[in-house]
Amino acid sequence: MSSVAAPDRTATPASESVRRSRPPGLSRKHREWVAAGLFLAPDVIGLLLFVGIPMVLSVAMSFFQVSGFGSYEWVGLGNYERMMNDPLFWSSMRITGLYVVVLVPVLFCVSLGLGLLVKQKLPGMGAYRTMLFLPYVISLVVVGLLWKFMLDDQVGVVNRAMRAAGFDGRSWLGSPSLALGCVIAVMVWVMMGYYMIIFLAGLQEIPNEYYEAARLDGAGPWTAFRTITWPLLRPTSFFVVLMATVAAITGGLDLVFVLTNGGPANGTALAIFYIYQQAFGFGEYGYAAAMGSFLVLIMVICSAVVFKLTRGGRFDDGE
Amino acid sequence: MLQHGNDAGRPAPSRRRLLTAMAGAGAAAAAPALLSGCGTAQAKGGRLQFWNFYGPQRSPDPAVNAQSAWFVDMVKQWNATHRTQIDLVYIPQPTYLNGFKLPSAFATGEGPDIFLLSPGDFLRYYNGGVLADLTPHMDKEAVADYGSALDSRRVGDKVYALPMEVEPLAMFYSVPAWEKAGLSEADIPTTWDQMLDIGDKLRSGTRAGLVFETNPGYYQNFTWYPWMWQGGGDVLDERGDVAFDSAATRQALQFWQDAVRHGIAPRTLPAAGDVISGFKAGNVAMWQQGIWQVSSFKAYAPDFPYGVFKNPLPPGGTYRTALGGWSFCANAKGRDPDAAAEFCAWALGSTKDESVDRMVEWCTVAKSDVAPRASALERGAAKGGYDSATMKAFKDDIFPGGVAEPRYPPVVYKAISDAIQGTMLAGRSVAVETERAAESIAAYTRSYKGASLI
Amino acid sequence: MASDTHAVTARRPHTERRPHTERRSRTGRRPRTGRAGLTALAVVLSAVSVFPVLWMVVSAFKTRSTVTDGKLIPTEITVQNFVYVFTEVPFARYLWNSFFTSAVITVAALLFHSMAAYALARLRFPGREKIFMAIFATLLVTAPVVLIPLFLVARELHLLNSYAGLIIPAIFNAFGIFLLRQFYLGLPKELEEAAIIDGCGHWRVYWNIVLPMSRPILSALAVFFFLANWNAFVWPLVVTNDEALTVVQLGIASFQTQYSSNWNYILAAATVAALPMLALFFTFQRQIVESIKTSGLK
Repeated sequence: MSSVAAPDRTATPASESVRRSRPPGLSRKHREWVAAGLFLAPDVIGLLLFVGIPMVLSVAMSFFQVSGFGSYEWVGLGNYERMMNDPLFWSSMRITGLYVVVLVPVLFCVSLGLGLLVKQKLPGMGAYRTMLFLPYVISLVVVGLLWKFMLDDQVGVVNRAMRAAGFDGRSWLGSPSLALGCVIAVMVWVMMGYYMIIFLAGLQEIPNEYYEAARLDGAGPWTAFRTITWPLLRPTSFFVVLMATVAAITGGLDLVFVLTNGGPANGTALAIFYIYQQAFGFGEYGYAAAMGSFLVLIMVICSAVVFKLTRGGRFDDGE
Repeated sequence: MLQHGNDAGRPAPSRRRLLTAMAGAGAAAAAPALLSGCGTAQAKGGRLQFWNFYGPQRSPDPAVNAQSAWFVDMVKQWNATHRTQIDLVYIPQPTYLNGFKLPSAFATGEGPDIFLLSPGDFLRYYNGGVLADLTPHMDKEAVADYGSALDSRRVGDKVYALPMEVEPLAMFYSVPAWEKAGLSEADIPTTWDQMLDIGDKLRSGTRAGLVFETNPGYYQNFTWYPWMWQGGGDVLDERGDVAFDSAATRQALQFWQDAVRHGIAPRTLPAAGDVISGFKAGNVAMWQQGIWQVSSFKAYAPDFPYGVFKNPLPPGGTYRTALGGWSFCANAKGRDPDAAAEFCAWALGSTKDESVDRMVEWCTVAKSDVAPRASALERGAAKGGYDSATMKAFKDDIFPGGVAEPRYPPVVYKAISDAIQGTMLAGRSVAVETERAAESIAAYTRSYKGASLI
Repeated sequence: MASDTHAVTARRPHTERRPHTERRSRTGRRPRTGRAGLTALAVVLSAVSVFPVLWMVVSAFKTRSTVTDGKLIPTEITVQNFVYVFTEVPFARYLWNSFFTSAVITVAALLFHSMAAYALARLRFPGREKIFMAIFATLLVTAPVVLIPLFLVARELHLLNSYAGLIIPAIFNAFGIFLLRQFYLGLPKELEEAAIIDGCGHWRVYWNIVLPMSRPILSALAVFFFLANWNAFVWPLVVTNDEALTVVQLGIASFQTQYSSNWNYILAAATVAALPMLALFFTFQRQIVESIKTSGLK
């Protein structure tokens, strides 16, 4: 199979003609529709019930002043107006922007690098893969706790090492200028193994013959990466960038809780944290729903643009 | 959940409006189902739930076990003598405070019937209409016995929460650290400047000189208020007008900023916030903490020598500290608000001996607190509950200058918290932050509708 | 992608003409120095990755007063933390609850998501891209915003305080659908097409051809799903009150008491919770590699 796989990929015209020659039968097209409906039904129903309806309810809630104790008062666009004039919300959006712009590229490069590394056939590779994936095994709350100890001002491992190397220790989590960087670094540490596995799966899909051929052509590793790996990995890369961005915007709450609780001086108050705080800390569910809906809207617009540009992440000729 | 027969036909009117909007938004199919489901808690009979962060649980810490046993025994006694039965539901405190659990339960009408409430949350819950009036179940004498401890739990002359404890803040210090630095009891500071000097002497690479709370939250505000009060400042004056922008406020913010800027106070809590091990491991010299640590020391580090002293003063200041503590509340929208309210009054607010003894037991045996009722404090003292030097200091020196934790709602809390965080940890201008906070508090109080903020 | 594939395949005949011996000598020498470097790199990176976890395990053997001392080698060693975790609270029960719910969610999610992804990647039907976009859009929904409405929905479906409440809402997540769709888009179509020509229905094509071919990605997803649910905290917290339904992460959280944070117990419990997951991943990563070898994808 392995030797014929690559040429076969481009051989669709032949099979296309074979398929056309087959008698259409009793509405083959409609059978395919029905099949698609049945295949999709469980997930579509589930997502509708447990994500769709709650989201619609949440959007509806954004037009109300909600007390958190069951009373709803219609305020129209009042919550959205408040959002527009809330400096803390915009500061949280700015922090989120910075967080995403730094975290996603760093995470992407690190996990792609790790993916390329653990694809190599080295003795003990299973162990390396396991160790690199290890951080993801631990829940974010415990991860936060661990790093809190390690980044401790006085006795933390990091400051001890810095002092041993002749530098002054720093208050990693207590300085507004450093805390966000710490959250990003910890997040990279947690997630790198996860995206490494996804990259690994994508890399394993690329037929080895391509590399052999390139090598025999005298191409170095960099050329091979640029002409084979990078283009063929595009669907995977697309997926990783998109997922890492979405996860950066909508996740990480547990970690921020434990590490900094949004501090110091709102330095790590990501939008998601501020939304959480308004909803569950202050009982402002309507306001939180407005900010949440706004955030979702922005992401919907961005991903619509991305999908338009990449033809739905297919990266092929669109069939 | 099981009896949903009589759900239909009692939706709250406001819900109907929400649901009309939702139907318009495309949720027509789901709306009727949700509509009928709302507010059903009232229709359910059965056992009442008491959500708390003490018990039942098992712990290697004898103090925690004693606290758990106190709750379990109390509910057992009630269940043995009353028709309405109560179940305790234990929720770990971090989850109880910071979590999703209580807010989502209350927001969906699934809230507990009896629960513990801190002053910071009082107004939100009261304005939300979930606090049942406890006054009808209490004797006038018992209300008088509580005295000013009820002030922040009252609206008009009605009582909505019964404090189980009063918890003053003070400065705790490590005797070994002091001795190592050549200091003795005679060096206990009485002014802010002295405290900063001593903190400077006590600190080392691995030891914080003087610890103030660093994490943003209601608790940090609570620990900061005394420093503002001591200079004669307040957030709102006695008429409820904004008084935050004052010399006393700026002085208190400056005090914390200086302590951090000069490295005397750390930017994060030592030992990840575990006070006992922070002291024991020698990472702390002084830490602003509450009376509850007395029982923790007793349980975990009975041999560790530590001391307490009352808050030092700013120039020309008057001694103040903040008094915290939790209270029992009954859910007015619960399964049986009347029985729940009766339970709260029976447990802590009755003139019967068992009620007073229960409080004595809680404040002097299970925990180490000042009892909120005069009779219980007296009885506890007579039983020797305040004989130790530390408890005596708390009862006789530290507690008398106390002011109850204010019940400011979230917007006010947040404005103050941002001022504290911004000046203390981001080094921002004290004057600017004070003014900004005062403005946002003023803007909020102008449009605020609800029970008095003070 | 297509044009790149052409470019590479066009070069193939050229390479096959090269003598065997030369190929061997080229591939034989370079990797040796390269390999040492790569191994060293893998070792260093693994060490960086593992260090905090190692630190967690070591700290789980420390006492309360030394757990925050920041030392890697404990000065006093105790197993009391583990004894406590298993004797004082029903931690085994918590582990079982987490195992059971995560396993059911994983199996159901793999089945449903691969079915949906197969339809989205391969079947032709009107509105396919729109449905995919809608499914993708559910990924953008931020959890804290929909928590309250989700709770209401779960209550209406009578899912509160039950295993069903822990399991059913957690199954549906567009992440798996998206990942599998991307994977299926890259699979060669010929086998499926041949099967269809032979008169196989779509279900048989899916079950007999697509599923076996997607074993590697399904193994990876199985690990992801299982872990995500093993570490779930907020939803189980909100949806259950019954102690018999406590999952392991809630159990870990319960070691934090009011005024004292027993970090040593928390770390011991976290270690106990992480160990089975490590074993799971270690076995599955082999499975991932082996199934790639046998599936004929390379």
